[in-house]
Parts: sequence; structure tokens; C-alpha cells
Amino acid sequence: MLKDYLLPASVDEALQHLQAYSGKAAIIAGGTDIMVNMAEKKISPEALIDISRIGGFKQIEEDGEFIKVGAGVTHTQAARSPLLKEKAPVLAQACREVGSLQIRNMGTLVGNIVSAQPAADAAVALVALGAVAEIADLQGKREESVEELYAGIGACKVDCRSQLVTALRFKALGLNQGSAFKRLAKRKALALPMLNVAVVLSLKEGAFEWVRIVMAPVGPGPVRAATSESILIGAPVSHEVIEKAAAAAREQAAPRDSALRGSAAYRRDVLKVLVRRALEDAVSQAGGSL
Amino acid sequence: MKEYQVVGKSVRRLDALEKATGMGTFTTDLVLPGMLYAKVLRSPHAHARIVRIDTSRAEQLPGVEAVACFKNTTRKRFNHSATMTFTVPPMEAVLDECIYDDVVRYVGDEVAAVAAVSERIAEEALALIDVEYELLPAVFDPVKAMEPNAPDIHTRKAGCFLCGKNIPGEKIHLALGNVEEGFKESDVIIEETFYLPVQKQAQLETQAALATVSHNGDITVWSTTQTPHPTRQILSHIFEISQSKIRVLNPPYIGGGFGVRIGLSAKAEPIAVDLAMKTKKPVKIVYDRKEDFTSTDTRHSGIVTVKLGAKKDGTFQALQLKGLLNTGAYCSFGAETIGVLGAMGLSVYRAPHMLYTGNSVYTNITPAGAFRGFGNPQAMFAIESVVDMMAEQLGMDAKELRLKNIIKPGDPWILPYSCQSTGLTECIEKGAKEIGWERRGKLNKPGDRLRRGIGMAVGTHVSDAWPFCGDFSNAYVTIQADGSVHVASGVPDMGTGTRTTLGQFAAEVIGVGMEHISVTIADTQSTPFDIGSHASRTCYVAGQAVMQAAAEARSYALTYAAKMLNEPLENLTIQNAAVYCRGERKLTLAEVARHAHLHNEQFIGVGKVIPQNAPPWLAHFAEVEVDTETGQVRLLKLVAAHDVGKAINPVIVEGQLQGGVVQGMGYALSEEVLFDRDGRSQHDAYHKYMLLTAEDMPEIKAIIVEAEDPTGPCGAKGVGETGQVATAPAIANAIYDAVGVRLKQLPMTEERVFQALQNQLN
Repeated sequence: MLKDYLLPASVDEALQHLQAYSGKAAIIAGGTDIMVNMAEKKISPEALIDISRIGGFKQIEEDGEFIKVGAGVTHTQAARSPLLKEKAPVLAQACREVGSLQIRNMGTLVGNIVSAQPAADAAVALVALGAVAEIADLQGKREESVEELYAGIGACKVDCRSQLVTALRFKALGLNQGSAFKRLAKRKALALPMLNVAVVLSLKEGAFEWVRIVMAPVGPGPVRAATSESILIGAPVSHEVIEKAAAAAREQAAPRDSALRGSAAYRRDVLKVLVRRALEDAVSQAGGSL
Repeated sequence: MKEYQVVGKSVRRLDALEKATGMGTFTTDLVLPGMLYAKVLRSPHAHARIVRIDTSRAEQLPGVEAVACFKNTTRKRFNHSATMTFTVPPMEAVLDECIYDDVVRYVGDEVAAVAAVSERIAEEALALIDVEYELLPAVFDPVKAMEPNAPDIHTRKAGCFLCGKNIPGEKIHLALGNVEEGFKESDVIIEETFYLPVQKQAQLETQAALATVSHNGDITVWSTTQTPHPTRQILSHIFEISQSKIRVLNPPYIGGGFGVRIGLSAKAEPIAVDLAMKTKKPVKIVYDRKEDFTSTDTRHSGIVTVKLGAKKDGTFQALQLKGLLNTGAYCSFGAETIGVLGAMGLSVYRAPHMLYTGNSVYTNITPAGAFRGFGNPQAMFAIESVVDMMAEQLGMDAKELRLKNIIKPGDPWILPYSCQSTGLTECIEKGAKEIGWERRGKLNKPGDRLRRGIGMAVGTHVSDAWPFCGDFSNAYVTIQADGSVHVASGVPDMGTGTRTTLGQFAAEVIGVGMEHISVTIADTQSTPFDIGSHASRTCYVAGQAVMQAAAEARSYALTYAAKMLNEPLENLTIQNAAVYCRGERKLTLAEVARHAHLHNEQFIGVGKVIPQNAPPWLAHFAEVEVDTETGQVRLLKLVAAHDVGKAINPVIVEGQLQGGVVQGMGYALSEEVLFDRDGRSQHDAYHKYMLLTAEDMPEIKAIIVEAEDPTGPCGAKGVGETGQVATAPAIANAIYDAVGVRLKQLPMTEERVFQALQNQLN
């Protein structure tokens, strides 16, 4: 039974509340998942700790060569951020695809990660950006790569009974770097992704210097197309090598048949197309020529 | 064309202000002192017998006032659709359901219901009802359900199976000429089979009812029904209480309908009435969205086969149509929908030889019933796909082939009334111009990944249900003592603008502006009997009744004014709420009415109409873009050119057409309810069921064509259902134009298009 709604002004205060309730409090930011889970009686916390008023949590800021996204930043904020549009367009694009305007206005990027759904659009883009999460508890702060946070479908390694994700951090895209986000869904809003793909890459002298290709939902969390990446690294940019990498992604992925998302066979076939298109777009954004 | 003062003008809707400000009252909003809340326990099994049900733990939960199940509730058989109130002998309505039965026939079927002081307690009580089921074999496939060894879903006693295994009602057989001869005379014959999905109305307001029973036993029910008067008849039948002791009304708004509540609002009304009788308190039930998806009528899924024969010059010689519709666990409108599928399918084109055979079949899925179009979209997807194939085979333009063969007034046709008007040629020409038909087939270069295409399809519909079943309207129109005009009609306004349109007829006939008009609708106590809103009939039939009543009230007022002015009646008219004598303004209508009132007279007109019927016509055009690598179809533009006879309120008509097209686009591309192998719905929520969203909308252009029909009020014909009759085949034909693959199953999802493209490559 919900007894209290708390509005801490600092990270420390929020952590104190978590400790005081010893596992019976839940953190709320946008509430787009937690309110649904409460309504469906999947969880019944005694208190909600609203982190939206903690200083700096609503900020998207440049920090040297890094970009820092506070834990209260919503999808709408990210989708409209001039900074992200310029220096991490893959993330702005992915955030625009989530749910509906109302959901984007409420739901936060950090919440997207903590909820740990296999194909959360923002999370897919963040993994491609190589983002890390800043995690605080009463013992201090640490950083962990977003990619490593998944412990199973809907399960995040962050222990929400004692820990708080305070921000996300990733390197801004620089010269000769590009990114792209591709999504297949049954309609343009309010639709689960049948597939989503994010690519971030860097070119050097006409070849792939490094590349991160992330695909979902083909596993418990966003999945790196490792074989595809290794095919590309060091290879000169060409249609042929992109096609080869895309085909390798198709081979690596193991989606499941789903009444809502489509058959596994179809999604594997289209995954190849999306990976190819994302790579082509990212290459052109990086100034590469095909 | 006749000049009108109010008719034909887009006057502001009478409900505009209330709805725009959120102040309109819907059943879901109602609260009465001491009201209880009802929740329903639903079957988790597709087919099972209840061997034991124990409600005692639920009854003991504090706050619970009654628990109903088959053991303590009437088992009078009925049909939740209005068919049981207007099926005319020798045909008989199939009465195959009761409020709660000891057999459940689909996942979501009613097992028991609780009335409690809050919705939460009612829900908690459901978990305390102990039910033991004996599972019975279930069947979901309509073809398998007709096989001899399939499980019986109903007993013969319920009026079913007279024509074959699991077939409710009758097999339909419509014939003209001799199709065998016709095919012999044909140079080209095409035969194809098409597969149609379960589509859901997904109207905004779920099924809801609030019932009270007075100490005298008088029952009042506010509900979401589209047909208050027939609903009263059904309740009277179930509870064996005289119709005079039951009042059914809308409060007054309904959040959409699209056919889902022609008759009862699923079982909302009888569940609420029964619990109100048990508790002697008001009881309200509001279905949640999941219940609305799993346990209220859907569009019929099914299989339609078309065989079309034509001469080399394109003249159609023979058209044969076979229909099989899956009506789910209960018949509902299953016996009628299958008939309309054939009747409409054979009424668009002229061919000397035609044959239709079809039947519905029971399976263990959610019942299917009425949904905008009522069998017609199923027929036209199949027929209009085959007509396009015929054009290609003959090497003719698909538009010219249609123009050559469409019905003209005077042609022999299958329907039991005559075609007296058609604007279909004009619809086709105007629509073709708007879409840029001449670009068809020339939109792509070899190797394009994104390919564009244009397609078209045509169709017709009805303007009411006469003479297929009972159909009539009555209305009262009263000129009040202050000269204002009151209209009383039994039809509801489920968002279609009925109140405004009926008001426009009265204003036009009497000669007053809309500011003098008020309209009472949808209440069995204060309005005369009306069949209600279905079959695109409301404007066409109730409109005639209102015009007739208004004319009578006007004649009384004029006769009275003639006496007052001592002038011959023929010199008088009413315009702008005043009486004119040979063009000179003499008295206001208010002065006449006031004078009459003080001399003990009121001007009351009664309209009583048994309608004829009239065909509305339509041509839809679509431009699409197909992603050849993913199978995704993007809609670029939809044109819906409709012959509506006369648009009484053009903005309302456009809204109806656009809304219909939107449902047609969903039917074409994304909307589908699937059931898993245990009969559980896979698409039981708005986030799973793929209605198209605002972001998916292309430009939609509605074109109004007015070929006035002599039978309609001011020439008007039916509109409401017509908007989605031919949308899906227009899109299918556009996809074919874009990529050369013919989709024979709806919806044409990205995966199905992709698969078809793969098959084309191999």
C-alpha cells in the first residue's frame, strides 16, 4: 500500500530515503513504467521517491569531449536537444521514435535503461554510443557500461533498492564520425519495435576505424553485432563490405516468433536491410563516400 | 437542384460545445446515490462445461452485495444483437445465448458477475469465485468447424444446425440467370479466393450500462446502445417484464459504436439489470478495454471466393461469389452479415448471370457481429481485386473496365428494390482526376527500392435494412408555445451528428433557423419507437419521419395562422420563423404559437415512415509507396468520392467518410485480432491492436457527389458505413501497381507483402 510520495532535493537525500524504506520504496521519474506496473499490481511499493527535482537531473550538457544526460531527462528533451542532434544524432532520432508524444514527454532515458526492456529505443542508441551509467549508492559513485547492465529480460543490474542511476555519459561524435538509427514497426507511433538498429562509426582514410552496431530485440538487451563489426574494422568503405557485414548481422541474430512483432524468419531478413541502411546513412554522415 | 435554407449547410453541430469542452455526458460518467459497481468473471477456456461453481467466498467479502451466475439467474435465451427484434417470419432469429450458461464457448465468455460497493472490491470478489471446468474440444477454424467430427458448439435446440454442422441461421442463395451458361459465354474467367481477418470496432467508449429498479418494478437503463427501443424489447424478453415498465436511454452521448452495440451493448444491460434486481440498488457496469476486445462483437473474419467471366471486350457475363464467415461462439448478426456480403457484392456490376452462396459458422472465438460495412468490405476486397486482375488480363484500363460494367438505373439486379439513382460514374471520374489516375503504371524506374503505385476500387451499400428485416421510424415534432421547435426521435447520436442533421430537416421544413431547434433522442420514454442507428439508415429513415412530422406541425401552424389573419391558406408560408402572406411578413411563428396556446391548441406533428431503400455509391483511390526490401507500405494519398444523394450537412458527411476511410486503411494494412492455439486473443489492448495513428495518416480527400434519390429525405442516401467499403481493395490494387504482387489476405502487413515479394522473386 502506497503511504508516501517523497521529493528529495539531492542524490544523497534520495539514497537516504531508499535506505530508510529498505527495499520497499521505488524510484519514480516519468512514471511511464512504474505507474503501469502498480496499476497491474506487479509491484506495490510503500513509497515513491520522485527524483525529478534533484539538481542537474534535467540537464543535457557537454563536458569536454563527453555529453552528460541527467537521470531526469525525458525522451522529448533528448529528441529536441540541439546538442544531441548535432553530436549524437542517433540518440535524438531513437528518442523521437518512442511511444507517443505524451509518453515521450514523461518517460526518461535512464528509466528506459533501468526498466531493461530488450528493445528500448533509447537504450539501443546509447549502447551504440558506448554510453556509461553513473551509479550512486551510500558507499559512493561508480560507472558501468550500459551494455553490461542487462541481467535478463526486464532485469537491470542496478539494484534499485539501494542504488540510483544519476546520469549517462558518452563521447560526442566528432569529425569523420557518424551515426544512424533504423526501426521497423507496425505503425509510426505507439508501436513496439519489430526491430531496431543503431550504428555509430568512425572513418579514417576511407576505411572503418571503429564501428558499433547494435540490434534489438534479438536478445535480453540490446545486442552488439560483433561479427559484423569485426568485418568492418579496418576495411575500406564499400557497398560490398557493408553488405557482408549486414549479412553477418542476420546470421548472428536469433529473434523469436511473436504474434505482435512478426515471425523470426521475416525479422532476420529485414534486420539485414536495416543494418545495411544504418551503415550507409552513418557512413554518409561521417563524410564517407559510397 | 432545389435551394434550401438549412439543409445542405454545414451548420454547427448541436453537440459541438459540450463535447469540445469535455462536458458531454456518457454512460461511463454516470453516478447515482448508492450505486454499486459490477465486474464480470470470464472464461479462461475456449470451450468448457462448468461442473461446479461456488460463489460463497465471494459473497462473504465485505462490500459485496450480489453474485450472479447461471445457478441464480434467468436462463431465458436471447440474441444480444437487435436481430431478434426485427427478423420477420418465416425467418427466425437465432436465440443461442443466455446471460450466464453452464457451458462457456470462448475465452472471455461470461461465467459470473459481482455487484459491490466499489469496482476494486468487485474485482477482488471475482478471485474468490471457485469454478471447476470440464474442458470440451474446441474448434477455431471455420472450415474445420463444419466437418462432421467437429465439436458441437450449440445444440439444435437453440435454433441452429438446421442447415449443417455448426451453421447458425440459413444458408444464403441468391441467383440471377445461370452462371454455368455465363461462364460458357465468357472469353476470360478468373477465380480467386481471399482471406479476411477479425477487425475490431475499437470505439472510444467501451460497453457500459447503469440500471435501476424502482419499488414498482420499473426499470431504467442508461446505456451505450445504438438502438434503445430494440434494446428495451430484448430486456423485456429476457426478464419477462412488459416493455412499458422498461425505459432505455442514452445519457445522451455514446462514445462511438460502428455496429458493436446494435441491440445490447454486449451483455452490459442484462448484467446490470439482473444485479440491480438482485440488490435493489442501482448497478453500473463498464467494460474495461480488454473485455471490450475479447468479449464484444468483432467484424466477421472469413473466406470469400470470386469467379468472374468476361467477354474479350470487357463485358461481364457471369459473376459467382461464395462466402464463409466465422461468427465465433454466438450467432449475433451472423445470419444477416453473410446475406449482406452476397447482396452487396452482386449489386455493383451488371452481369446477366450471377450466383451467391454463403453461410456463417460457429467457432470458439469471440462472437462476430455488426461492424461498419456489415459483410460488404469482405465482399469488395475480393471482387475489386478480381476486377483489377480481369482488367490486366484483358489489357484494359481498370477504370474503363469498371465504367463499362457498373450498374445503371433500370438494369436488372439482385436486390429486391430498384436502383433509382447513381452518381458512381461521376465518383469515378472525379476521384480519378484527384489522384492523377493517368500516372498509374508510370511511377517507377527499374531498380527503385521504393516503388509507388495507384489503385482504385468501387462499391455500393444500403440506406437502411428494408426489406431484409423490419425497418421503420417514427418522430414527433412540436411547435412549442414560444414558437421554438422540439424534435423527438428514438435514434441515438453515437457521434455521427444525427441530432444536428435531424434538427436541420425540421428547421428546413418548418421554416425556422437552427437556433429555434432542440432535439431529444434515444430515450424509449420520451420518443416514439425507432429501430435505431444501424445500416446507414438514421439520416435516411429517421430523417424522413422528422420531415413528415415537421410538415404536419407546420400545416397546423399555417392553418391556425390563416384563421388569425383571415387569409386563404394557400397564400401563407413560413420563413425565418415568421408567417408571410403573399410575400409580406405578417406574424412571427412565436405570436401564432402563443395565440394558439392561449386558445388551447399545440401544433404537434407525428411522422411514421416505412422506408424504401436506395444505393449510395463510392469510388476509392489510393496512392502508396512500397519498400521492396522490407515490405512496408506507406500510404501517400486516399481519395474517397461518394455519391451520398444529398449531403444534409457537408462537414458531417466528410467526417463520416474520412472516419470510414481510416478504418478501411487499418483493415487493409494493420488491424487484425489473432487467437493462439488455445483460443486466447493476442490483440486485446490498444497497444497491441494496430489501429493506425495520426502519424500514419496520409492526405485523405473526401469528394461529395450528389445524385439525389427520389426515395430519400431531400434526396439523401446512406453514408455512415460506406467509407470503408472499398478502401482495402483500392490499396491492394495500388500495391499491385507498385510492385506487381497480388495480396489475397488482409491485413497486408509488411511481413505478408515481403513474403509475396519473395515468392515473386523465386
